[in-house]
Amino acid sequence: MDPEEVEFLGEKEIITIVPNFNYGIINLISGDIGPFRAGLPVKVPMWVAVNLKQQQTCKIQQPDWMDIDFLEELRETEKNTQTFTKMPNEHYMALTKSILNCASDDLIRANEIRTLVKDIWDIRMSKLRSSVDLLIKETASYAAVDNLTMMEINSVRPLLPHALDQIYRMKKLQGPRIGSNSTAGQSSRMSYSFRS
Amino acid sequence: MNNMDIDHDLNNLLEIEEDEEDEILLSPATLVKIIEEAWLNEKFSPEILPNKQEYVDLLLGQLAAMDDNLENASDRDIKKGVHQLEVDRLKFLVCSYLRTRLEKIETYIEHILKQENERIEKGEEMYLTDAEFNFANNFKEGVDKHFDNLMGIHPTMPISWKNQIVQPNINSFVFAKSKADIESILIDEGNDDETVYVNKDSQIIISYNSVSNLVKNGDVQLI
Repeated sequence: MDPEEVEFLGEKEIITIVPNFNYGIINLISGDIGPFRAGLPVKVPMWVAVNLKQQQTCKIQQPDWMDIDFLEELRETEKNTQTFTKMPNEHYMALTKSILNCASDDLIRANEIRTLVKDIWDIRMSKLRSSVDLLIKETASYAAVDNLTMMEINSVRPLLPHALDQIYRMKKLQGPRIGSNSTAGQSSRMSYSFRS
Repeated sequence: MNNMDIDHDLNNLLEIEEDEEDEILLSPATLVKIIEEAWLNEKFSPEILPNKQEYVDLLLGQLAAMDDNLENASDRDIKKGVHQLEVDRLKFLVCSYLRTRLEKIETYIEHILKQENERIEKGEEMYLTDAEFNFANNFKEGVDKHFDNLMGIHPTMPISWKNQIVQPNINSFVFAKSKADIESILIDEGNDDETVYVNKDSQIIISYNSVSNLVKNGDVQLI
């Protein structure tokens, strides 16, 4: 899957904008948006927000989670726990990217936000890489990948599934081992270290 | 045509289609969601999945109606831009979904046709739509002819290659998200079997084989 396609899905996330025009309800196929009242916040999908912003007809309101204190705390939590922390938004990376791209003038301390989100992403990616390494060494058959966002999953997709395919093939060739029940159970349980 | 008419027409259109759907109330938003999920499933599953023709047709109907309305709308209307953008996004979605299926048909032509013919014999529901099935048959004819022409000049050529069918690797690993609590998923360990319990909304990486039925009945979404 292309990262652009993940972004495409991310653009469906709902955010709040402040329009500078008046307009009634618009009946989109994917749901109604509006009514728009100049100066009053209204919730729209990200792709509508980008479109309106490009025409200079709205301001994008900073999402609650795009807050320096919150993100700093999130970064510390992410750093100090072994598991993946739940992100404030499934598409936090795509949203940050498009909001910063088209509406950085609407944000408070935009540059710091950019750095913080990038930091969080980097910490998570490095965790992900070590988890993948562990997973493959344990030759696991499945693993929980809770709290990973789509973009993060997509980044290991070119490699991890194929590596596991090969392991599966090798196991198949190897055939059942003697007294394998306990070993197999153990190895699968250990695969949960992805989560623990 | 003014704005009110566009909305009005759209609503009319929906009501008609809801009636055709055996009184099942299907909001357009749900429809979009169904196609989106089908798109992701089709993208990540190694084999071709049962078709979603009825939903695709419904969505295409909506898009066509919207296209018509947009032609008559004024360019200066804010609404037009937004509607146009949405139509383009949804068209991309549908096209990408259908193209993914065609790619699979071309790659696994022999395998898919064999399975479909077995399904016809057993009287089961077919995975391909009529149009896709036609395409598959024509494509196979073309490929066979092409190979026969090429190989014909070497009469001594063994024909055993014809038995080497390209098959999807249904054991390949996929990322999946559960949409319901699942009592047990059978894990094929390659040499041992094991079952796991999966909670609603958890994400796992797992062999496609273990979840293929759950993907088809909608309990599991590939991501």
